[in-house]
Amino acid sequence: MYMNTNTRILAPEFDFARPASLAEAFALLRKHGRGARLLAGGTDLLVQMKMERLSPELVVSLAGVKELDGITMGDGLTIGAGTTIQSVSRSPAVGARFAALREACNAFSTVSIMYMGTLGGNICNASPAADTAPALLVHDASVIIASAGSERRVPLAEFFAGPGKTVLKPGEIVTEVRLPAPAAGTGSAFRKISRVVADISQVCAAVSLVRDGARITGCRIALGSVAPTPVRVARAEAALTGAEGTADAFAKAAEIVAEDIRPISDVRASESYRRHVARTIVRDALQTAWQRAGEGATK
Amino acid sequence: MLSTELKSVGDASWRKDGLSKVTGSEKYAPDVSVDRMWHGRVLRSPHAHARIVSVDTSAAEALGAVCLTYDDVPKMRYNERIVSTPPCLYRDRTVVADKARHVGEAVLAVAAPTEELAERALRAVRVEYAPLQVITTMEQALKDGADPIHDTVLLDGKDVPIRNNVAVQRTIDVGDVEKGFAEAELVFERTFRTSRIYHAQMEPKTVTCRPEIDGGITVWCSTQSIHNTRILLGQIYGLPLNKVNVVKVALGGAFGSSIQMNSVTPICVGLALKAGRPVKIASTREEDMHDHVRYPSQITLKLGVRKDGTLVAGEMRAEIDIGAHNIQAYPFLGGLGGFWASLYKLPNMKYSGRAIYSNKTPSCAMQGFGAPQAHFAVECLMDEIAHALGLDPVDYKLRHYVGLGGTFWGQGPASKCIIRSDGVPELLRTGAEKIGWDKRPKPGSQTGRMRRGIGMARGFHTSGVGHAKASGAEMIDYSGAIVKLNEDGTLDLIQSLMDHGGGTNHAIAKIVADEIGVPGHMVGISPCDTRTSLYDVTTHATRGVYAGGAAALKAAKSVKAQILHWAARVLDVLPESLVIEPDDNLGQGVVYCPNLAERRMTVGDVARYLHINSLGTISASESMRQVNCPPAYVSYFVEVEVDTETGQIHTRRAALGSDCGTVVNPALASGQLVGGLSKGQGYALIEDNHWDPVTGELASKGFWVDGKTPSMAEAPLADDIMTHFAHTYEPTGPFGAKGVGEAAKNPAIAAFANAVHNALGIRFYEVPITPEKVLAALAGQEAQQRDTSKGRARTAPAPVAE
Repeated sequence: MYMNTNTRILAPEFDFARPASLAEAFALLRKHGRGARLLAGGTDLLVQMKMERLSPELVVSLAGVKELDGITMGDGLTIGAGTTIQSVSRSPAVGARFAALREACNAFSTVSIMYMGTLGGNICNASPAADTAPALLVHDASVIIASAGSERRVPLAEFFAGPGKTVLKPGEIVTEVRLPAPAAGTGSAFRKISRVVADISQVCAAVSLVRDGARITGCRIALGSVAPTPVRVARAEAALTGAEGTADAFAKAAEIVAEDIRPISDVRASESYRRHVARTIVRDALQTAWQRAGEGATK
Repeated sequence: MLSTELKSVGDASWRKDGLSKVTGSEKYAPDVSVDRMWHGRVLRSPHAHARIVSVDTSAAEALGAVCLTYDDVPKMRYNERIVSTPPCLYRDRTVVADKARHVGEAVLAVAAPTEELAERALRAVRVEYAPLQVITTMEQALKDGADPIHDTVLLDGKDVPIRNNVAVQRTIDVGDVEKGFAEAELVFERTFRTSRIYHAQMEPKTVTCRPEIDGGITVWCSTQSIHNTRILLGQIYGLPLNKVNVVKVALGGAFGSSIQMNSVTPICVGLALKAGRPVKIASTREEDMHDHVRYPSQITLKLGVRKDGTLVAGEMRAEIDIGAHNIQAYPFLGGLGGFWASLYKLPNMKYSGRAIYSNKTPSCAMQGFGAPQAHFAVECLMDEIAHALGLDPVDYKLRHYVGLGGTFWGQGPASKCIIRSDGVPELLRTGAEKIGWDKRPKPGSQTGRMRRGIGMARGFHTSGVGHAKASGAEMIDYSGAIVKLNEDGTLDLIQSLMDHGGGTNHAIAKIVADEIGVPGHMVGISPCDTRTSLYDVTTHATRGVYAGGAAALKAAKSVKAQILHWAARVLDVLPESLVIEPDDNLGQGVVYCPNLAERRMTVGDVARYLHINSLGTISASESMRQVNCPPAYVSYFVEVEVDTETGQIHTRRAALGSDCGTVVNPALASGQLVGGLSKGQGYALIEDNHWDPVTGELASKGFWVDGKTPSMAEAPLADDIMTHFAHTYEPTGPFGAKGVGEAAKNPAIAAFANAVHNALGIRFYEVPITPEKVLAALAGQEAQQRDTSKGRARTAPAPVAE
């Protein structure tokens, strides 16, 4: 009976904890098992609790866990899972080297959500429409998953298991997102289509290209809102790899994308509209990424 | 110096409530909190159409909640909008429903010490429903044998049967339409559709009710009329009006959705009376989106013209799916016909409108009432006729519009007046120049991905529904005001008239200041309630400044006469020899005799003299009805850019003109135009609502995330929204003023549709013009062009019959 669900009143009772370290957080998770939920920005979790889609016994706020926050530049980039979307979008370390990620963060609905939402939260919520996911996929990101006493590294492409589902096991926390240094001559871009700017995407797409003169030597194409999880489109990537970076090649790759994705019709868009605009935004993004690769954006 | 210039009126001053609003100190209905207050929640039907078989509240009561069911409320049927007079008032609802007629209909309510507990209690209630046939389309509703949504309704004390779910019908005939069409050389006919969009006002409907020790109640609620709310609550709960006090609190927007008493208001009163303590109900956004939408329309418009474009006959058929309750379908149908009749000179016209019940969210007034719907049909078809005849739409419309000396139908056949001020030529010429009308592309001439187009539409809204008749009116239309002089020369304006946010109360304070002759800051706007203020019907029909301002002006004139009377005694001159003028250095109004310059005193001196000598307080309490309803003309020129690959339409520039007579506050009047563009853009391009044809559920499920409206991000750059005003003076308005608010939106959807036609060469007869519709239309256009190039017969773009 959805009529009485709403996004304002937090009716169920639950316990709340605010650990000061990861160690304390792990201890709480171990004790409460599946009854505990992690709270980062709260832009997804709190809404779901108000709607009673989730009814945790314990909400564990990560706001006090300082080691989750911040961006470190090494060879590549390490972004703490608790870093806000706003911080990522403004970071000079993200800047032009990871243009697709920057653009995805800037396309992120409203200012209030950018300031509250976190990068880790966006991917752990595992929405097929998560804006940062396609961008992180084309930047070849992996996530560091920690639990009490152990740590594992999972490529983002293997992280999503379905709408709202990830490979995270009880007791685990995503602590970092790591992006390798882009190869020389890399350019990337992100495009999003939505009903209005302050909205979840109807389709979003990120691409990255490695350019050597007139030729494409590497290519990644990823989309959101076109499948149960954010997806890469291998056949389109293969078609471009080794090809010359021409408008024609980009149009053909975009055509493959439109054929290979499996979108659905829902309240935001029809299946056919998603396919149609996926073609457009992938082609546009490829053009932009190609131009950026030529400008030596990564040098 | 003897000045007759206005000082406050015409000055772009800061509104008096601006500081409290931007700092967050203003109190809106959701901010109200009173001692010992409990919180109420409303159980809403998940079924679109169902009998309520049984209700079990025992588990909720076990949690400590107080429950209000159908058995607890008065069985009186009422209409929640008592603007119409009893013979025009269709009463079809009770405080909570006897049967569910739409998803989201209030079935019962609970109150508990906290909102969270109330929410849990709500979920503990068990209701058994027996589902009935769900009717979501007009076709289903009209079919013989369709389940009746209402068996009968109450009309002027009589139980009237409802047949085939038709709530009400209206017809208007002028001249001889058959003869007119016989004379026509060309006939154009199109069907236009507009959607049932949500008001998207900032403030979800909220109410707090405190039962008083004397058996009375005090109510703070979202409303556009505190007095109508009071009258209704008195009627429903059998309370004398001097024991029902509704307090004026700032309104966080409404766009027409609080002309009626909102559904939660009488529920909250019932809960508070049963619980014997204050109760507050704050609707969630999800509930609010299930509570009210705009009247949709399906309008078939047929116009007959001579080859030179002269209109000789017109016929309009309107079918309106009003949803589960008849809030104001009768005046809506009249308004639709009247707005059409007032746009262009038509010697012969025939109008028929029909309002049909369905199991969907009830529709009600929204900014423009039936005018945007009428403007959409008329302004688009006039544009099409102009193109078909090779005429410039601006010239064509200027030649045939109803202007100075013509008859304006304020809101249907019951309110008419002769037009005495007309800024239309100035509006259209200025707008055309600002947008670059002469440089617009030829429709369909562009071939690139991004195509720009300029469209125009014009129109108006009424300024109130005043009329000359002494009795037999369809609608109530009067306002009151109290003005009093304080002991230091400042003044208080006490007026129940609600400000939607457009600055109406501030504008009226300016009118009072200028009439008396004091600086604007000396007139304060008093908090008030129904016990301390005079009746005001409601802030609707763009009547605030024109009608409410006129009542305050009347009171101000009386106060001024009294000030002059006493000042004349003190200064030993005749009152007729005195004038009052604001003195900015003194920060006071100064009363003086231009012929004897030394005879002068400030208004404050007059007030102190009266006070010290126990001569009493100068005050006036006046009530009045305007006997006219002048058109607040408006012009819209918009430039759009269509992305032919994504189908998205971007608004690039707009030139918006208003003929509101004397402009009381240029900054706020301009703001109304800009706001109208934003809301109009949403209506034209984005906003829509769908109900599941089987279950009758709202597709968005009331979630804001799927009820998208445009924000700043969709607006053109600030410098690209140009506003301008006509230089007119309305002789019947306070200081020459007419209205602006609803006019600011009315031609918007027509202007957007005409702009898209200019960009693409494709006409859209349905809003919103969504990206998916654009892509489908472009594909159709492409297929047609392929056929044409293959030499096949090309179908005419418009079904023009000779």
